[in-house]
Amino acid sequence: MIKNIKNCFIVTLLYFLLTSSIAVAQTPSIEASTSPTVTVDKDIQLLKDKIANKVSEIRKQNNKAISGFVQSIDGSIMKLDSSGEVNQVKFDDTLTKAFRVLGTTKKEIKTSDIKKNDYAIASGVVADNVITANVVLIDENFLVDSGKITEINKDSYNIKVLTSDKNTYSLDIETSTKQHMINIKTLLEETIGFSKLKEGDTVHFVVKKTGSEKDNNYSAVKILIIPQEYFIK
Amino acid sequence: MKKETIIAIFLGLLFGGVVAVFISLKSKDIELSTNKVIAPPKENVLSPNLTGTEIQSLELSEPADNAIFDKSIIRIKGTAVKDSLIVIQSPIKDLVVKNTQGKFDLEFPLALGENSIKIVVYPKEKQFKPQEKFIKVYFIDSEL
Repeated sequence: MIKNIKNCFIVTLLYFLLTSSIAVAQTPSIEASTSPTVTVDKDIQLLKDKIANKVSEIRKQNNKAISGFVQSIDGSIMKLDSSGEVNQVKFDDTLTKAFRVLGTTKKEIKTSDIKKNDYAIASGVVADNVITANVVLIDENFLVDSGKITEINKDSYNIKVLTSDKNTYSLDIETSTKQHMINIKTLLEETIGFSKLKEGDTVHFVVKKTGSEKDNNYSAVKILIIPQEYFIK
Repeated sequence: MKKETIIAIFLGLLFGGVVAVFISLKSKDIELSTNKVIAPPKENVLSPNLTGTEIQSLELSEPADNAIFDKSIIRIKGTAVKDSLIVIQSPIKDLVVKNTQGKFDLEFPLALGENSIKIVVYPKEKQFKPQEKFIKVYFIDSEL
């Protein structure tokens, strides 16, 4: 009887040992079969992301923007004149998009709509001094500068401004010109009229360039005056 | 001439000479004390570190000239002389700030396309010339 119980105990023990060893043996095999797959998937995704970032970075590095007045358009090649320097822009039928900037909005146009003397901004990858344009924007060209008022003509609403690089600009102050003056105490901008301008005041100005101006005469888009009192207080 | 008369004349001349020298010295002192020095007051005299060559020059660390952005607001960072007036102007924005720290970090909006930006620094000491920088940056919408 005792022998039977002993045998039974040994068989039970062996059974438990056997089943537990199978379980132990199986568990790692499950882990071994799923864990590497997940890791590999993650690695691939990471590598994909890294490649995408690198490509985007390289594209950004090679991406340049140039601007100028359209000198000529010959098929898919456009020449831009930027203060005497001529740059070539290549259009790619499948890649290049063109827009006309209208204030804060834009309207898509065809590259064939771009005309001579338009002011164009082209962005794309540069190779051999030719920029293959991803985007071409047709916009207005602005000149931003500052100097001292040397002359005021109250009859023609015109001022002469001498800049630090010794350029003299003749600015027409139109009714549409935004005229502001800095309050020397608060440094806030205040709207003013033409009568407030004085010779000797410092003026910061923005004008629109069309490329056809003569004698540095421009219609002012906006002016910002720093009164001479600021400098002698 | 009597001996007494000669002595009296001699003493009179001696006294007159002493008085003349005294008056001359005294008048010089009075002249010096009443004269004003024609020179700027001490507080207005430039300290050696304010000479033209040593003034903190305008440096722009951001953005780089001809940089392309895909967002409409950027930061203009740099250094300029302390307590100067900084004027930043573009076709769409005028920004006037007092540079109290020496370093500046200012938010600035961009228009779609090309943005011509002029930065002028007017030092507090008016004898120094304004410093200028001009940059062009581009805002090309990423959707384009």
